[in-house]
Amino acid sequence: MLSLLKRYRRPLIVGALLLYPLVAFLLSGRKGRDPNPIDRAVIAVSSPVQQALTAGIEGTVSAVQHYLDLRGVRQENDALRLENLQLRASVQALGESRTENERLRKLLGYAEAAPGPEIPARVVGVNPVAKLLSVRISGGEKDNVFRGMSVVTPDGIVGQVIRATGSYSDVALVTDPQSRVAVRVQRSRARGTAAGAGSGPLKLENMLRTEDVEEGDLIITSGTDGIYPPGLVVGRVTNLEKKQHGMFQGADIVPAVDTSKLEEVLVVGSPYSAMAQGNAAEGAAK
Amino acid sequence: MKFLVTVGIALALLTLESVVVKQAGLVLGRIDVTVVLVAFLALRATLLEGAFSAFAVGYLLDLMSGQPTGLFTFLAVFTFLVGRLVSSFVDVRGALSFALFAMGADVGHGLLATFLTWLTVKDGGSGQALAGLPLQVALTGAAALVLFPLFRRFEAAQDRPAGLLR
Repeated sequence: MLSLLKRYRRPLIVGALLLYPLVAFLLSGRKGRDPNPIDRAVIAVSSPVQQALTAGIEGTVSAVQHYLDLRGVRQENDALRLENLQLRASVQALGESRTENERLRKLLGYAEAAPGPEIPARVVGVNPVAKLLSVRISGGEKDNVFRGMSVVTPDGIVGQVIRATGSYSDVALVTDPQSRVAVRVQRSRARGTAAGAGSGPLKLENMLRTEDVEEGDLIITSGTDGIYPPGLVVGRVTNLEKKQHGMFQGADIVPAVDTSKLEEVLVVGSPYSAMAQGNAAEGAAK
Repeated sequence: MKFLVTVGIALALLTLESVVVKQAGLVLGRIDVTVVLVAFLALRATLLEGAFSAFAVGYLLDLMSGQPTGLFTFLAVFTFLVGRLVSSFVDVRGALSFALFAMGADVGHGLLATFLTWLTVKDGGSGQALAGLPLQVALTGAAALVLFPLFRRFEAAQDRPAGLLR
């Protein structure tokens, strides 16, 4: 037996190297696995290099862009000053509306949803595998970023944290084919699901044919998936397809955020992530 | 090439690729630098050394994909073994022939990755992945042209006898 093993040692080792990951893949499928100590060590080594390279290239690009932009800066400054005045007036008006809204909410007995922490992070790199659209950000468990938390920009939603290690996290983009977000039409409050479809627009799914949706409608998160807080902008409806028969109508959603040009993002807490933190704390206590 | 050097090169290339992809916004067309590296291993490394190196390179790619499933680890070892088999039939010496060899490996790698992903996930992204394959293969071929002399230099540096003054 031993002599046989010795004789076929090389093919056996190569066979194991080939079959172990295949079996792991067939068993785990799309889910993947949680990072083990080796994964964490490799990420801890590679991510700072990734971050330094990103900073170097971005610094060079922005220096060139700044130089080119200097020409029109005075005119732009005047325009921005004017816009600032208008925005300040709008903010003041919105402040009034907010106070009124809070007062009315209190009157109606609504519980104020806790907004949770907003953790700023930088995008340090893009996943080199085309099968999963994800980015790596410079915020991890040390910064209270956990798996399941949502990632946004002021323009709208970006994606969801799928893996968090010490100082870095991986974020599956909302455009990834595996991504699903519970949404509603801001105007009519009709509910549906925004499904990722690769690099192009998102697909509006599970929207009943009888629901009121129009081209150009703003789509926001509904918050019913327990991942994204309600009211965040997802995108605008386009290519609306109202069928004669069937339960649902279809449409595309042009994402509000251009995920191919992300730089800074905010990681936002959610009920799911709060549970994850709780579990982590329990695990640490044990 | 020695195992640790291969892992180091793979890590550096993947990091560089990740940054380039971020800057260039290449959503559909990616450069399969790991396939280029595995193709080189198929031509030059011994069976065990190459299999271990391909396993490590695939593992790194899996890790950087955000969702390590084992798919790219398997594909790297598989591509290495098939590449090794093919290399016994064809003569790959120059940069151009290596680029063609790497492109062939990338086609197989891409098709198998799409098929296995479709088999387990059954999502609608398979068609898009296949549509992006020609550009990806072309970019990988271009990368192979650039990387071939670099790999050879690394290989030559390791083959130098130790202890000699230079």
